[in-house]
Amino acid sequence: MSGTKEKRLYLSDRPPLTAVKVVMLAISYVLLFFYVFVILWPLSQILFASFNGNHGSYLQIGVSFSFSLKHFEYLFGETYFLNWVVNTILIALATALLTLFFVSFTGYAYSRYRFKGRKASLMAIMLIQTIPSFAGIAAFYTLHSIIVSIAPWFSRQMFLILIYAGGGIAGNTFILKGYIDSISRELDDAARIDGCGNLQVYRLIIMPIVRPMLAVIALWSFIGPFLDFMLPSILLNDPKSYTLATGLHTLINDVRNMHQPVFAAGGLLTAVPIIVLFIALQKQLVSGLASGAVKG
Amino acid sequence: MKVDLVNIGKKYEGRENFTIRHIDLEIEDKEFCVILGPSGCGKSTLLRMIAGLNSITEGDLLFDGKRMNKVEPKDRDIAMVFQSYALYPHMTVYDNMAFSLKMRREKKTVIHDRVIEAAELLQITEYLYSKPSEISGGQRQRVALGRAMVRKAGVFLLDEPLSNLDAKLREHMRVELVRLHKSLDTTSIYVTHDQTEAMTMATKIVLLDDGKVQQAGRPSEFYEKPANLFVAGFIGSPTMNTFPGVIEKGLFKADGDLFTVEPGQEDKKKLSGHEGKRVVMGIRSERFLAGKAEKNGITVEVDVIEMLGKEQLLYCKFPNGKECVISEPGHFKYAIDEEHNFHLDTQGLHFFDEETSGRIN
Repeated sequence: MSGTKEKRLYLSDRPPLTAVKVVMLAISYVLLFFYVFVILWPLSQILFASFNGNHGSYLQIGVSFSFSLKHFEYLFGETYFLNWVVNTILIALATALLTLFFVSFTGYAYSRYRFKGRKASLMAIMLIQTIPSFAGIAAFYTLHSIIVSIAPWFSRQMFLILIYAGGGIAGNTFILKGYIDSISRELDDAARIDGCGNLQVYRLIIMPIVRPMLAVIALWSFIGPFLDFMLPSILLNDPKSYTLATGLHTLINDVRNMHQPVFAAGGLLTAVPIIVLFIALQKQLVSGLASGAVKG
Repeated sequence: MKVDLVNIGKKYEGRENFTIRHIDLEIEDKEFCVILGPSGCGKSTLLRMIAGLNSITEGDLLFDGKRMNKVEPKDRDIAMVFQSYALYPHMTVYDNMAFSLKMRREKKTVIHDRVIEAAELLQITEYLYSKPSEISGGQRQRVALGRAMVRKAGVFLLDEPLSNLDAKLREHMRVELVRLHKSLDTTSIYVTHDQTEAMTMATKIVLLDDGKVQQAGRPSEFYEKPANLFVAGFIGSPTMNTFPGVIEKGLFKADGDLFTVEPGQEDKKKLSGHEGKRVVMGIRSERFLAGKAEKNGITVEVDVIEMLGKEQLLYCKFPNGKECVISEPGHFKYAIDEEHNFHLDTQGLHFFDEETSGRIN
């Protein structure tokens, strides 16, 4: 008896739906499902195409499906795919680590210290980062030739890492500074009285608190090299040293070497490292993204 | 530890004037010294200078005779409790309390013993392994105290530690803090803007305003002999009534012919040099006696009554609109808009020079 009675209780905090609201809600859901379709349909096509043995060099519409791993075999056997993966992951990791390292210092310093030129340099960073890194390509070439003449072991990939990290440091300094600003300075004071030096205050107190934001910065910096095509295609000249984006591009930009289904398979595998990192950082990321949203 | 401040001054970067200046203070060993003042008077600055979190622009800070101006906070043998508690959010209560000892590379067994000892004294053993975000404000306050206690420092600094607690808990913690101070056997320096906290806890009060020490001494001195008009107005609730006027033939005449008072014999002697000069007379609300008398009487109309139970506060008006607050026992019958006669207790009068606002009697 009491069970049926409880079911009738209206427990929602919102006012009950009227007929008009039901219609509006239905429309919202239709729009949402349409949006989901727009995103998922191409992804599913990539998935099917990469496993479909009936595709030849080109992706064709209306081909029947027969499961096969031949595109993956081609990818691993006939191309430098593994080199590209290793290259990209190394570049991405180095970029992320370098960015984290420098942003930790710059963000902390800009948030906690008052020094001459603080405002001016912050403004300068903001202005400079609005210039696309592509515009500096001439400068990059000049710098590269200078550096190589001093240190011949300095490869073009290392240069790429420097460019990515350099670009990331500027914007992320702002984000981290804003986040650290929101932490009470009394924590620093307490730590100082408890016996911490400047670096210890950051390492033992501030860094653990800003870890979510550091995770977000790490992820962004890590994803960057996976997505960028332009810089590596200009800077890197040996197919073995390509990153995934430029490497896979060779499979679709030339008629003589056209393998669109293989490109799809490669694209699918590209997502794997990012997903792995995302899952590893998930706990930090959720709180980091949420608080970042409020604090800008 | 004895703390001496000799002619201390602080000027912040980019400011034109000194925030505080010419501060001379002697805080004896094991004293509970409260630095009291309205917000923005520089009391927190003074505490932070003692802690070493702010630099000292001029003057000397001495701990047991040793100059501390250039010593790092961690080497000053101090412990501090912050207004926001400043607990490290990513550490458990235990780690928060153990942190300073860990930084000093104490032995693990020593750290454990000290933390447990402090936790037992503050009754927070249950929460030792919770994060600060999981415990209530009052418990956080205790953790903050515990974190300072484990250091066994020579000077205990507290920056408005009770201002985030609710009224009931604050009352409770006041007593607890005094108890703690006794058991710790250290010098405590406590900053607050709350005169009740100052009056109830301190063995010595330092009242700051406008970057200067207005008065320093025992709590009772502040109530009975305020050094100037500012102190008279700041200490005591309700605020002391003040009447500007002149001394004529040894009598005090309030402006607007409100009333005339004949001061007591001792006050008369001290006022003799002010014959014909302007002075301000102060009287606390409880020094008005009910009923008519031959002299020193006033007649006022009751405007508002605040009934507090054991006493009632009568907000009264003179015929010319001048207001005063009178407190009378709660069982006396008064009603709004009635006229009543009171007379002034001449033992409870305070006279101040109107020009310098300094105390005369």
